[in-house]
Amino acid sequence: MSREWTIKFVLLAAVAAIIVMAGFQLYNHRHYRTSIVTGPGVTKVVKLSDYSEGLKGTMADTNVFFLEGKEEGGTVLILANTHANEPAALLSALILLENAVVDKGTLIIIPQFNNSAGRNTRPGDGYPLYFEIPTDWGSKKFRMGNRDASPLDQWPDPDVYVHYPEKQLLSFLDVRNTNRTWPGRKNGPLMERVTYGAMQIMREEKVDIAVDIHGAETMFPVTNCIVAPDKSMRIAIMTSLTVKSRERFDNHVESSPSGFRGLSHREIGDYSDTMPFLLEAPLPFLDQPTGPKTVDLLLDGKDPFLLSLSKKRKLFVPYDETGWPMEKRVGQHCSVTLELIRQFSRKYPERTITIRNVPRYAEVVKNGVGYYYHDPAKTDKKNVYIN
Amino acid sequence: MYLQIGIILAVMVLVYALAKWRKLSIEISMLSAAVAGGIAGAFPGTPPVSQLARHLVEGAFTYLDVILVFSTATIFMAIVSESGGVNYVVRGTIKYFYNVRIIALMLLMIIILIPGALTGAGSVSLLVVGAPVALALGYLGIKKRRVAAILFIVAGLSAAAPPVNIWAMILSAGTAIPYVGFELPLGIPVLVLGTFTILSLGWRRERKMPLDTVLKEMPEVPAGMSWWRVLLPFLAFFGLVIACRLLPFSFPILGLPLEFVVAALVAWLVSPIRIKILSLSRDTMKRLLPLLATIVVVGMLQQIMTATGVRGMLSFAVISTPLILLFISLAVIIPVSEGVLTYGGAAIIGIPLIWYLDSIGLHATVAIAGLSLLWPLGDGLPPTALIGRLSVMVSEYKDSYWTFLRSTWLPWLVITIVGILMVVFSARLEFLVRWSI
Amino acid sequence: MPLIMIIYYAICVYIGAMLIWNFLREKKSVNDMLLYLLILIPLVLRILRVK
Repeated sequence: MSREWTIKFVLLAAVAAIIVMAGFQLYNHRHYRTSIVTGPGVTKVVKLSDYSEGLKGTMADTNVFFLEGKEEGGTVLILANTHANEPAALLSALILLENAVVDKGTLIIIPQFNNSAGRNTRPGDGYPLYFEIPTDWGSKKFRMGNRDASPLDQWPDPDVYVHYPEKQLLSFLDVRNTNRTWPGRKNGPLMERVTYGAMQIMREEKVDIAVDIHGAETMFPVTNCIVAPDKSMRIAIMTSLTVKSRERFDNHVESSPSGFRGLSHREIGDYSDTMPFLLEAPLPFLDQPTGPKTVDLLLDGKDPFLLSLSKKRKLFVPYDETGWPMEKRVGQHCSVTLELIRQFSRKYPERTITIRNVPRYAEVVKNGVGYYYHDPAKTDKKNVYIN
Repeated sequence: MYLQIGIILAVMVLVYALAKWRKLSIEISMLSAAVAGGIAGAFPGTPPVSQLARHLVEGAFTYLDVILVFSTATIFMAIVSESGGVNYVVRGTIKYFYNVRIIALMLLMIIILIPGALTGAGSVSLLVVGAPVALALGYLGIKKRRVAAILFIVAGLSAAAPPVNIWAMILSAGTAIPYVGFELPLGIPVLVLGTFTILSLGWRRERKMPLDTVLKEMPEVPAGMSWWRVLLPFLAFFGLVIACRLLPFSFPILGLPLEFVVAALVAWLVSPIRIKILSLSRDTMKRLLPLLATIVVVGMLQQIMTATGVRGMLSFAVISTPLILLFISLAVIIPVSEGVLTYGGAAIIGIPLIWYLDSIGLHATVAIAGLSLLWPLGDGLPPTALIGRLSVMVSEYKDSYWTFLRSTWLPWLVITIVGILMVVFSARLEFLVRWSI
Repeated sequence: MPLIMIIYYAICVYIGAMLIWNFLREKKSVNDMLLYLLILIPLVLRILRVK
């Protein structure tokens, strides 16, 4: 073999080895399936494509879990993994899904709302592929997803994303961001069909309140808060005051800006009768000035750079050596969600929603998140949904 | 942690310097730095060694769409050029405006501004209209060095110009500020600075020849070439771009690469001479090699820097800088971040910076507009120097890259001052946003 | 898969083929050989629908 071809062969082999090694890891990540255990409260499981036909057979289709009470009442919709790189949302939704029992009204949960994003990794940002939550029976493994849907499911991006129907110009990336594609369209780009499906659920199931769970950087002013439009404001304020006085954690209220389109807290309110709320818990992992993007940072939120910035008063949340552990974030989401439902039920007694068996902030902080998850191996297979 | 990340950064810098010293190309030097950083990081497990290949490969995806845009746009322009279209346009421009210099210069500036303003990419301006404009500027008696300088600055401004400004969009998306109200805060400075640039660098005529001689000197245009043959492919391209914008809910999302492919097919079909598309594409990809490789490697570098914490530490250093010093250092930090990380710089440094500036009472939209005037300057700085290298390529300037870069000093300085002043006085310039909406 | 997405895969295949052709034709520069392969990494994995 000539020198030229020897070099070519060696280079090709080296690059091919890297492609194969990395390719397998990336392929396995996209196709890894998490076991979701349904608890005693779950009465029905359907697909989002039942409400938005255009999702059938795509990676964007996802499970919708219904927890219906014996008595009639109001309806609440919980959305998690709208941004699949904000995992406290999914973890909180699973606590509800595995444990909640609804006595009155209906609870609808979509734990993997942007299913495509949950199977996508984030180029350039060095995330880990998976993270694990310790439980009493071992550990539960989850994919670490991305903010945006995978281009394998929706490609290409436009030059600029024109929001439907308000025609506001948004970043081209936002066409794959399910917190910019609300209220969505039946035949629009795939992610618009995802949000359209959720809007159809809200219309058809007469959803009273929708809670979209997120996480946000500690350097972002809109963090550790409930974002609400005018129509949801009173309930948001009451919730914020109540958790502050009864459970001793801050969760202030931010008003949904009317000029910023495509977000759940704006469009759900404007395009349906449902009252939207968007929950943000601090997520140090997403901050730019942090150390390595490790699983530890994701789970405990401890970072020396953020600590230093906190001392210089450059963060928007209190921050000390304890960081922002996952238990705190998930605990907050559980409590705030329950409190929103309680405040809504107080204001509209004829649409009361009564839920029990869901831990609140102090319990989650004390017991840890994994304490509330059940072993899929020991659960009746018909109650385990693999996705 | 500081020490650990500091050592990884030192290893990366050392390996880069070593690679450059061994006369390896910029792309391979950056790749070496990324791999070395990853290996150094693997010792403390950031990232784990089993994840190193995945991080490099995942990083390579960061700018995949940009690779497709560059490739398709350059093939399109290569077809237009091969068909004689470029020569035809230059000949026309010179014929009609040779003696009305100010109009010729302003017209050429607008021609460069439009594609970049519509797509948000200065590279598209250069790839689509760079070559004919460069030739026209040359025949107007401007030296190649200055032609390259004009193209670089004005193409950079085109990327910052409204309606599409990618830096502003990244910052708006990352800071949850609506991408609205940018028309005047971006449009006015871009037009003023563009005019200043083209007049300051292009007003002086280095040589003056009679029009007849110039026309004789210019390359021949193939028989059968006509205005409609030149215009049709461009009309197809801009038609698709505008249709996507005007009819967003009934027109399918095509994306820039496909828009360029359609335009390329039109150009190929209407060409008066037969073009061998395969060999032309192959040669175009060869010409683009360093540019595309840079984009791939920058993505890898960015990913490794994040996984190891180096990126976070750099971002931390910027945010921790005292305010006055920060304002002054923007002149360096912003372009350098673009030079090293291209759009990644806007995310790493821009997002926390805007949150910080917003929290001290400055106006975020105007501040973003001010910063996005500075970012394009970094596209002339190594290691990436994407727009700088493209400007040199399309203007066929052959001398030292640094001599070219030095000749941009005056508009560079003015743009820097204007950008920083816009950030500092953003609260007082808030009316520009109000008037835009 | 929507038609436009299929066209994008075709564009990737075309560009990839041009890069491979150049790689095979390259006689001397090891630097250029390696660079062709680096650019191919994301294209190959996209075409295979891995990432």
